[in-house]
Amino acid sequence: MTNKEKYKMAFSAVCISDGFSLEVEKMKKMKRRHIMGTVAASIAGCMIFMASATVAYAMDVGGIQRTVQLWIRGDCTDATVQFDGDGTYSMEYTDADGNVKSMAGGGVALAPDGSEIPISEEELMEHLMMPDVEYKDDGSVWIYWFDQKIDITDKFEDGVCYVKLVKGKETLYVTVKYKGGYAVGPHKYEEPDWISE
Amino acid sequence: MKPSVEMLIEKYRNNLYVMAFSVCKNTQDAEDVVQDTFIQYWAQKKEFVSEQHIRAWLIRVAINKAKNKVNTFFRKNTLPLEDYMQTLTFESEESSGLFEAVMGLPEKYRIVIHLFYYEDYSVNEIADILKLTQGNVKVRLSRGRMLLRNTLKEGWEDDE
Repeated sequence: MTNKEKYKMAFSAVCISDGFSLEVEKMKKMKRRHIMGTVAASIAGCMIFMASATVAYAMDVGGIQRTVQLWIRGDCTDATVQFDGDGTYSMEYTDADGNVKSMAGGGVALAPDGSEIPISEEELMEHLMMPDVEYKDDGSVWIYWFDQKIDITDKFEDGVCYVKLVKGKETLYVTVKYKGGYAVGPHKYEEPDWISE
Repeated sequence: MKPSVEMLIEKYRNNLYVMAFSVCKNTQDAEDVVQDTFIQYWAQKKEFVSEQHIRAWLIRVAINKAKNKVNTFFRKNTLPLEDYMQTLTFESEESSGLFEAVMGLPEKYRIVIHLFYYEDYSVNEIADILKLTQGNVKVRLSRGRMLLRNTLKEGWEDDE
């Protein structure tokens, strides 16, 4: 018996379980989760960093903590952000009413070869600079980007709203699925089907 | 060309699973890798030139995903290999010994050995899949064989 035959015989003992199945519909849902993994920070973030005024001041539990000035729901605010080095962050800030708020997020990116890469601090910062959508108790829906506050309540058609945001030379195309997440594109509107539920 | 993912699942799922298992040494991680690999295929807009191209692509993606599983800090599935081996049915003690010897190889040799002996890829093809030089593949193959020979003695022929 050749080495190849011996090898194949030995590894014939390893078989994927009978219970393994992968239906296309199930995959579509999982794909959406992957897509949203890459933009999780922008969705969970709910704040916008200002480009400057960041100070790295501590290293603890393996992460980097920074104080930053950011735009939260249209208000410029100081916040403490902990980047954990694995593609995740957590942060605390004091809102306009003096309440301490905390939030966290993170995600992975898919490399061209299929491998998953935790998004970097720089990428997290970019995500955190993305627009934010808020559903208020009075039923209104608002989108925020830096000091811009736009009421988009009446702009939904079939549960989807498309908003073009302009700041200086920068333009963003935001697709908002009513209470179903949103996606931001630099050149065009993203398809609503790719937005996570 | 881009065949349906259902057809590819039927055809390649076990090969991808064995490939992933040989890297991860863990059933749950290997199944996750297979699943993620097919999702990646399904999500790609990439067109393929042949079925060999698809097969090589699937294997490359599975290897990369499996390596990521192994290297992730948050690895949860860590059932010892010995425990898993208890659940396998080998045709002979020689097969069991060979399996254990291969799984004991350093990862970089194990992957090359698996592609050569299980997937029947040539040195050139392995170099292409792993993005290595042919010389590098030959060295890894040679060292992997040598380690297997040292462990298995007469159970492994000198086929270099």
